[in-house]
Amino acid sequence: MSKQVIYSTEPEDFYYMDINVPCQGACPAATNIPAYIRSVFEESYDRSYEINRSANILPGVLGRICSRPCEDRCRHGEPELGRPVNICHIKRAASDLRGKGLVSKEGPLASLGNKVAIVGAGPAGLAAAHDLSTIGLSVTIFEAQERCGGMLRYGIPEFRLPRSVLDAEIDYILQKGVVFKTGVRVGNDVTVEALLEDHDAVLLAAGCYRSIPLDIPGEGLSGVYPGLEFMMDACQGRSPVVGKRVLVIGAGFTAFDCARSVLRTGAGDVTICLRRTEEDLIVTKDEVLEAKREGVKISSLMLSRRIIGGDAIEGVEFVRTKPGERRPDGKREVTSIEGSEFVLPADSLIVAVGQRAEPIGSPGEKNDRGLLIADKTSHRTSIKGLYLAGDYMSGPSTVIEAIGMGRRAAERIVEDLTGKVFRERVVRMEEAEITDRKRAWDYLPRKEMPAVHPVEKRLVSPTLEVERGFGLEEAEDESKRCYLCYLHYEIDISRCIYCRYCIDVAPRDCIKLVREIETNELGAVTRLVETASWQEVNAVVIDNARCIRCGECMRVCPVDCISATRVELVERMPEKGKTDV
Amino acid sequence: MSEEHVVIIGNGPAGNQAAMSIRENDPEVRITLISRESGACCRPHLFPDLIAGKIPEEALYACPIDAYQERGIKLRTGQEVVRLNPEERVLMLEHKEVVRFTGLIIAVGGRPRIPEPLLVFQDLMFTLKTLRDAKAWVKRLSEVESVLIMGGDLPSLALTKALLEMGKKITFLFNEDAFWPLRCDDALFEEVGERFSLKGVEVLANRPVKSIARKSEETYEIEVDGRKVEAGMIGAFFGLVPDIRFLAGCGLRIDRGILVDEFLNTGFEGVYATGDCAQIYHPEIRDYWVSIGHDNAVALGHIAAQNLTGGKMQAVMPLESIFEVKGIKVNTSWWMEF
Amino acid sequence: MSSVDLTVEICGMSGDGTIAAGGLLNEAMSGAGLSVLAFDSYPAEIRGFGRCVTLSRFGDEEMLALSDKTHVLISLDDKESRSRIPYLVKDAVVLYDNRPPSYVTEDQAIAAHVDPGVRLFGMPFGDLAAEATGSTRGRNLVALGGFAALFEVAPQFFHEAIKKKFAPKGEKILGANLKSFDRGYQYAGKKFEERPLNLLSIPKAAGEEKRVLLSGNVAITRGALDAGLKLYFGYPITPATPIMEYLAKALPERGGRVMQMEDEISSIGAVLGSFFAGQRAMTATSGPGFALMTELITHGVMAEIPAVIIDAQRAGPATGLPTKTEQSDLQAAVFGGPGDSARIVIAPTNVAECHEYTLKSFQLAEKYQTPVIVLSDFFLNNRVESTSMPRASDGEIADWTLYPDGSVKDHYLRYRITESGISPRAIPGMDGYLFNATGLEHTEGGIPDYSPANHTKMTEKRHRKIQGALQDLPPPKAFSRDEGMDVGVIAWGSTFGSALEAVLGAQKKGLKVGALKITSIFPYHAEVIRTFMDRCKEILIPELNYEGQLSNLIGHLHGKDVARLNRVTGLPMPASAIYGKIETLL
Repeated sequence: MSKQVIYSTEPEDFYYMDINVPCQGACPAATNIPAYIRSVFEESYDRSYEINRSANILPGVLGRICSRPCEDRCRHGEPELGRPVNICHIKRAASDLRGKGLVSKEGPLASLGNKVAIVGAGPAGLAAAHDLSTIGLSVTIFEAQERCGGMLRYGIPEFRLPRSVLDAEIDYILQKGVVFKTGVRVGNDVTVEALLEDHDAVLLAAGCYRSIPLDIPGEGLSGVYPGLEFMMDACQGRSPVVGKRVLVIGAGFTAFDCARSVLRTGAGDVTICLRRTEEDLIVTKDEVLEAKREGVKISSLMLSRRIIGGDAIEGVEFVRTKPGERRPDGKREVTSIEGSEFVLPADSLIVAVGQRAEPIGSPGEKNDRGLLIADKTSHRTSIKGLYLAGDYMSGPSTVIEAIGMGRRAAERIVEDLTGKVFRERVVRMEEAEITDRKRAWDYLPRKEMPAVHPVEKRLVSPTLEVERGFGLEEAEDESKRCYLCYLHYEIDISRCIYCRYCIDVAPRDCIKLVREIETNELGAVTRLVETASWQEVNAVVIDNARCIRCGECMRVCPVDCISATRVELVERMPEKGKTDV
Repeated sequence: MSEEHVVIIGNGPAGNQAAMSIRENDPEVRITLISRESGACCRPHLFPDLIAGKIPEEALYACPIDAYQERGIKLRTGQEVVRLNPEERVLMLEHKEVVRFTGLIIAVGGRPRIPEPLLVFQDLMFTLKTLRDAKAWVKRLSEVESVLIMGGDLPSLALTKALLEMGKKITFLFNEDAFWPLRCDDALFEEVGERFSLKGVEVLANRPVKSIARKSEETYEIEVDGRKVEAGMIGAFFGLVPDIRFLAGCGLRIDRGILVDEFLNTGFEGVYATGDCAQIYHPEIRDYWVSIGHDNAVALGHIAAQNLTGGKMQAVMPLESIFEVKGIKVNTSWWMEF
Repeated sequence: MSSVDLTVEICGMSGDGTIAAGGLLNEAMSGAGLSVLAFDSYPAEIRGFGRCVTLSRFGDEEMLALSDKTHVLISLDDKESRSRIPYLVKDAVVLYDNRPPSYVTEDQAIAAHVDPGVRLFGMPFGDLAAEATGSTRGRNLVALGGFAALFEVAPQFFHEAIKKKFAPKGEKILGANLKSFDRGYQYAGKKFEERPLNLLSIPKAAGEEKRVLLSGNVAITRGALDAGLKLYFGYPITPATPIMEYLAKALPERGGRVMQMEDEISSIGAVLGSFFAGQRAMTATSGPGFALMTELITHGVMAEIPAVIIDAQRAGPATGLPTKTEQSDLQAAVFGGPGDSARIVIAPTNVAECHEYTLKSFQLAEKYQTPVIVLSDFFLNNRVESTSMPRASDGEIADWTLYPDGSVKDHYLRYRITESGISPRAIPGMDGYLFNATGLEHTEGGIPDYSPANHTKMTEKRHRKIQGALQDLPPPKAFSRDEGMDVGVIAWGSTFGSALEAVLGAQKKGLKVGALKITSIFPYHAEVIRTFMDRCKEILIPELNYEGQLSNLIGHLHGKDVARLNRVTGLPMPASAIYGKIETLL
């Protein structure tokens, strides 16, 4: 007996999805997270992997190094409900535990004949290449380095991301028929204009590979390394030379990767110096903890003023800072406290305060730093056929963000070239059974990632992956914790008898006595106006934003007026007749 | 109920004094003092004396428990604040109770710091912060003869003295991190090490710990620098780190402690932090400092209370009392007699 | 040798399972060897509105009265439990739910209102129940598990109590309750380090006879069954209804019946009819119902027909406070009804006496050919006490009817005046002993007669007969150490327990104080009472009624005015109130 399935593109349904499946809403690639977690629970690791791969292309990689914007919004992480589901590491488990065969059943479709050049084989470029070649465009990637991967290979150390995992996932993309030209620096070895002539579209996804300097006196002394270059050396096995007392200035992933890599070269004393405080770090808490375990020290509220030394660095002069209000970008203002200067001795300094894009010679409208500008939605520059994606377009961001941008850029390119939409996002609704989750699972503590112990083991094997991954049982246990927010429970007001048994068994304030329902201009429910006065009650309503999908209400309803629906945001090829832009 | 409500979080010496001072300045305002521990305010610097059996438990308390009711201070014991919204002036207790305030003084103090590399051995070490901890020490000491002290903060020195008087055998594993957040010099270590050795304490200065294990009911074993040392119990004394994890992301400026100006204000009107949990920039030493010691806490508690009730007292400590360990006023006398 | 005297309250909203939890707690602690005295209070309404409180006192010695100070409060609903805070001792233990479904304000949280010395233990009752069974319904059992862990009561005692109560409801429900309890026990055992009092270490008295927990109602019912009761006639009324309910199950098993009559008038009528025909019968009611019965009771007095009536007093007058206790029917029981209608009134003071006196009332009724009223009260009927299993001896259930001997056959005078006042009674159907029974004044032969001399001598006969019952009625019992006392406390019904506790407490302090237990309300042993009163400088009579009904009845036996302590709160008399009054009299 087939269940009824509805597909919707109504705006209020998208609004609903963003609030009700917050993890997927937070993911720049809109990965269907509850579905892949459920697949792991059902031990269908292949399916889980494929759900990921079709949205975020590199699950094994992301399952290790993703910045996890989903976990910050996970419903299970709400204050009284405990800690967020360990979504990222479940993704990794799907990758670790799946069968080893080729998963992707999509071969290239019939060739459309268009040719696209992609500059940069980092996450954005790879994502775009995957999608474009799947559709049937002919894709060539031009990469300045010897191998593909971008920051994944050259910026992230092997102890966080094993190369075997990276290579395997890049291979899937290659198998789509993508042509790689490595060792080619666009702008030097070949011009953008030439590419535009030979190809129907050119996508610049060259990333941000210019280290931002401190711009303080003494930066030219020996023993001072830009962080990005330090990492690139470390990632290519070229052990960078550092001294015994190392300072790292910076607060991002690069700074932490540098500090941990330094420890693996034998230097015992590494301190990360922050302008702000630990609270403002964007690096994941797991990372910070492992860094501290390995012996990295973190000092805060200090701004570098100058580097002291003769030919080589001997120390760095800092001044204390005072944090102020939060800026719109989320970071706090800092002001220096005059008169608080002090010197920390050091024989090496790594500067990891950020990266920028390098201007590439090309036609088109540019900003005051000589970088091309592109429209956020269409990814178009002012030149027809020239597009941007990834860090090169947005400034340094995260891998998952870049992947999202790469895929969207691919969509826009295909639309512009062929006039056809090849992928749309829809809300898929299907009748569902009551959840089979047990309430006891909501109290399971979050499984943390086991790491290599003792720490000495890590430091003597610099390429040894520190995080060990979830095994079968751990993955299943953690997957039990997902509430499966794709379930939607709703009371049929016309059949409800207002007995309030559902409210009696509700685990929190998720079922409400409502006087009226407010909606916005899209028609989406924005507010339930509650009332304590029995005379005013018009309906008993499940507040889906508070619902933890335990199903208790459905179980106790004496008149069976509560229904369950599975509501998912999915991608599909548009229905016939709807493909034209 | 739109009346004023002053809430003080923490009933250590700082919080206790803050409550008392507020009441002195304002006989009417509603004051609630929320404490995670049970009982009246305990003075932690007297724990070594309790452990040595020199004073009874009653002597630890700064005041009898009735003193709060007499002054119209609502003391709420055994309850914990888990979230704060300084903007909306509301806080959340662990049992999901929402409390509104018009004035707030955060005096949560510190918790014993365990350096990250040793976190995995946390359960094998004894710390000394609460009365419950002190009782655990008393119990264990009645069963064992030897103690290994790791770290080297001020309480550890006081405790070592007490343990020597009890006739216990002591091994002291110094850690340069121990006096954090103060910065101390090598000369100090040497001096302390010498004094200890004179008293029969075995001193292992500044060597990294490889592992800690429980060998038997009676013995713990610590592997340090290629050597195995046994002791009946292991004490961790790496200083205190402000106990402010519950404030993460609430809007207060936080570094190690709660960042406040010289008037102990957090930047939010009516919200102050005081005692061991406050991190203050001291213009004379030109650096941030976090208070340690009972007398400092009491003084800071008083200052915060003054400033909440309209005063403008600066929290500036005399230089010598916080800059170097040698000169710390509160402990000089016993330390010199060591 | 530490002595245990622990008062535990469970407070919740109706629907929280408060009463069920209280029952399990009492059973478990009784099974663990402690003496129990427990009493629940709940609202008249069924669900959703109103506070339920169970109050249990546990000790290693017999508990005489409820304490007015609580040591442990288990809060199933913080808002309701707030009202119990004034009764907490300074260092009381409060076990509460620290994960309510929604956030609560200061007003609603119990933690905001207790004194600082009170020790709070928060556990997520609902979450733990949900974790163990999928539903939050078992939260009351989770709370019990927490209590058991904190006070180190072996879980098996609770398991036994849970099995006893829930096994009849099926595996699933039994399993869910056991799991909820176990989860609470496990959680509390791990989470809480403090153990306020170890109850396991209390030595159980060796070689004790088996103690059971019984309520007054059950004891009354057992007493009636032991007396061979086959017929019950009644009308439901709080707090006597359970008697009818228990008998409705038990009597058919013994070949008897319960008949629900249309009102109390027909109920007493049927009882009189039954006894008239020679078959023991009983009815039970409360104040408003008793008032309806009074005319027919006097019919029983006039026609000298036995009856047994249980009056379970509640707060009045009229419909009054149906779920509150009082001792204000004494006057109605002794004097209610038209005319000079002396009858027997006895009042048990505890659950064991409920059994004993109910049993005895049938014999007294038969021998003295009179209605016997057993005066209990709401507190006594509903409270649960540890007591030994009552057992009736053959002698206790024998028929005390004085039948006519063969010598008067064919010229039998039903109401022959005798020295004792008791006229041998023929049962209808006894061949040769035809008689007339009437509510009109009558001759010895039973024929209506209104002459002055007859009425005088028949009235005198009936009264003499009742006075003669003194020899078979339990005399007052004195509890005193000293010959001369400064204060003597005389009490009846459930108030006696509080009085005795107060007096024993005073005696421990060296005060010259004594107590006198009165169980025969009418006729009363005037000489015994007077003798006791003469030993005392002051007499204090505490009662749960406004006018001092016992004081009015026997107070004249004292040389001067008796001191009274009258309370009409609807709640049992606290021992502390009596103690306080004793002190003022000293």
